[in-house]
Amino acid sequence: MKSPYRNLKIKLLKKNIYRRENIRHIRHLSFMEIPLQRKLTQEEESLLKDSLKRCSEETVSAAIAYQEFGSVEQVPIIVEGIAERFLEPDMRPVLKQGSDNLRIFEDLGIDSLTMVEIVMLVEEILNISIENEELRDLRTIGDVKTFIDCKVRGLPLPENRTHISVEQIYEVMPHASPFLFLQEATIQGDTITGLYRISGDEFFLEGHFKGNPIFPASIMIEALGQLGVLYLLTAKHESIEKAVRSDSIYFTSCDGIRAQRICKPGDVLRLQMKPKRIRHPLAIFEGNITTETEKVAFAEEIALTFDYVTF
Amino acid sequence: MPKVVITGAGFITSIGNTETAVVSSLRQLRHGIELYEPFSDTKIPVNLTAPIKGFKTLSTDPEDWTYPSDYKIRRDILRSLPPHGLYAYCAMQQAVANAGLKPEEVSNEDTGIYTASAGSAGNLYYNLERMHKLGIQKCSPLGITASIAGTLNFNLVSAYKILGSSTGFVSACASSGHALGCAFDEIILGRQKRMFVVGAEDGDFASILPFAGMRALTSSGNPDTASRPFDKDRDGFVGTGGAVVLVLENEETALARGAKIRAEFTSWGQASDGYNVAISHPNGDGLARAMANALKHARLSAKDIDYINAHAPSTPIGDRSEIKALKQIFCNAHPKISSTKALTGHGLSLASILEAGICVLAIDKGFTPGSAHIQNLDPEAQGLNIIRQTEATGPETILTNSSGFGGANVSLLFRKHG
Repeated sequence: MKSPYRNLKIKLLKKNIYRRENIRHIRHLSFMEIPLQRKLTQEEESLLKDSLKRCSEETVSAAIAYQEFGSVEQVPIIVEGIAERFLEPDMRPVLKQGSDNLRIFEDLGIDSLTMVEIVMLVEEILNISIENEELRDLRTIGDVKTFIDCKVRGLPLPENRTHISVEQIYEVMPHASPFLFLQEATIQGDTITGLYRISGDEFFLEGHFKGNPIFPASIMIEALGQLGVLYLLTAKHESIEKAVRSDSIYFTSCDGIRAQRICKPGDVLRLQMKPKRIRHPLAIFEGNITTETEKVAFAEEIALTFDYVTF
Repeated sequence: MPKVVITGAGFITSIGNTETAVVSSLRQLRHGIELYEPFSDTKIPVNLTAPIKGFKTLSTDPEDWTYPSDYKIRRDILRSLPPHGLYAYCAMQQAVANAGLKPEEVSNEDTGIYTASAGSAGNLYYNLERMHKLGIQKCSPLGITASIAGTLNFNLVSAYKILGSSTGFVSACASSGHALGCAFDEIILGRQKRMFVVGAEDGDFASILPFAGMRALTSSGNPDTASRPFDKDRDGFVGTGGAVVLVLENEETALARGAKIRAEFTSWGQASDGYNVAISHPNGDGLARAMANALKHARLSAKDIDYINAHAPSTPIGDRSEIKALKQIFCNAHPKISSTKALTGHGLSLASILEAGICVLAIDKGFTPGSAHIQNLDPEAQGLNIIRQTEATGPETILTNSSGFGGANVSLLFRKHG
């Protein structure tokens, strides 16, 4: 829809009444088609460099390659380079670890205003436009890279994600402290992922083992089970016909359990569950746990029984 | 009634960026006025400002700025600061250290902050121009908080995690006087135990040059004589920016934590001219009533005042009104009088607290600042005890005056503590 102010704006622009020279510099905005299929002129390049001042050399080269010949493989470098430029210096090494799992706010300290700064510069350099609503479900650096990559390649955007906060988890789960091992969760497609930080204060670590606190593998499987419970209580799945009663879900069996790495206080468990088959009253999941970089455990099957709410 | 005392101060000013530097400039009558490069265009009928040394804030991008390396400022704080926000952030650091406040004494429910600035005209212009030229969605997300009147408040409350009262004051050249006065009241009323009061201005092209339209700025090109309050040939003020912070405390609170008390903030008075939007009352009536109110609330008489730091900005009309006002109140008393704007330039919203800060230093360090650059005393000022040189003894009881647009007048009264 046309803005009612459009005509007025055009008039004002034509009259150039806002023009003023030499006192305050206005940053270049690219109206050009990308890719240009040619080398940037010296002036275009210096304007681009001015926009990207305080970004790394690598980011600038990637942006030039992108603008000149549409090299989409440069997009993640550009996005990460722009994000890095807006980070506090003490956070830059964290980003440089290169994990796509880094959370924008919690791990990198990027608040929503900084996010807008990043988005504005990304829009300018990549010549795309991003709506506020599209930003809402982006939680990790990986999410951001994937999202922007889809945008510039014209691919369909990743499926919607639903984030479940720690407050919501405490509200819907039948479990409670000290036996709840989920601190946040996200459902995307038919996969639920969750997070648990081993604090070292867990009561059972005192005896498991004497003077050697190791997170029990049995509790890891329990945590995966809890993630399955959360899935049944919150996910939309074609085979979950009605609301599931939270006091009706119990463990039935598990199979093909392998533990690959021990975990200690300070480790962050990244849990994932995906339903293999759901048919009332049985739901069978496949699950795995990793840390940031390593495999921790795998479960071929975890089966839970459940029942629906009746009125 | 509780007493209010001053326990800390911070200075980023044209005559020095530390308390020591400010005192030394005042003792030696060393001014901070220079030819100002952004005014170098021959079409600009003004040549001088009193800039802040050691800071470079001309760029619209705060990340381009340079400032003394003693100050470390995170990007998420810096990005929303106008130039005067940077000065104030640094002056706050000085004041907190100077008052010996721990982080929990800065951030608690009993500690508030009142600020005074006109906002950042330069940032406002820059951001609106960007919006018009590049589109609404190209506005910087923090363009507003870095620009509008109130910016000083928003930024300092969040940067210093202030939990008590906070607001900003806008009465042009009386702003920081009102901020001090209302902070005083906040403590007297028992609402807060401690108040930071901050005055600051950009002091740049956009904040100073519009006064040329009013013919209020001196056209002089000689930094050594341009600002000359009470001189018969004065022809306008020299603009300045910077920031000053004073820490006000309930006397009981200050004594309980063993703070060093620099001076007592005894009372204040205000009154309005009800006369003209920009011209001060020809007989200085509003200012005279403001001084009378300050004396009345302190239960003092004109004879008790040792020194007056005058508002006198070096404008023909402004100085004359104040001379008339002083003669109304001090007809039988002869306090020493000077205008330190001869050295500092006129700091607009900053002016009142800059001069209050100078008064606190005069009491605490024991000197009486002189009125510099007077070659021919204005005959109207005959009979007033205007001192031309800084004296090596300090006053015990001081009035300091400020007058702003619309005829808003504030007079603040400070005394030696004890």
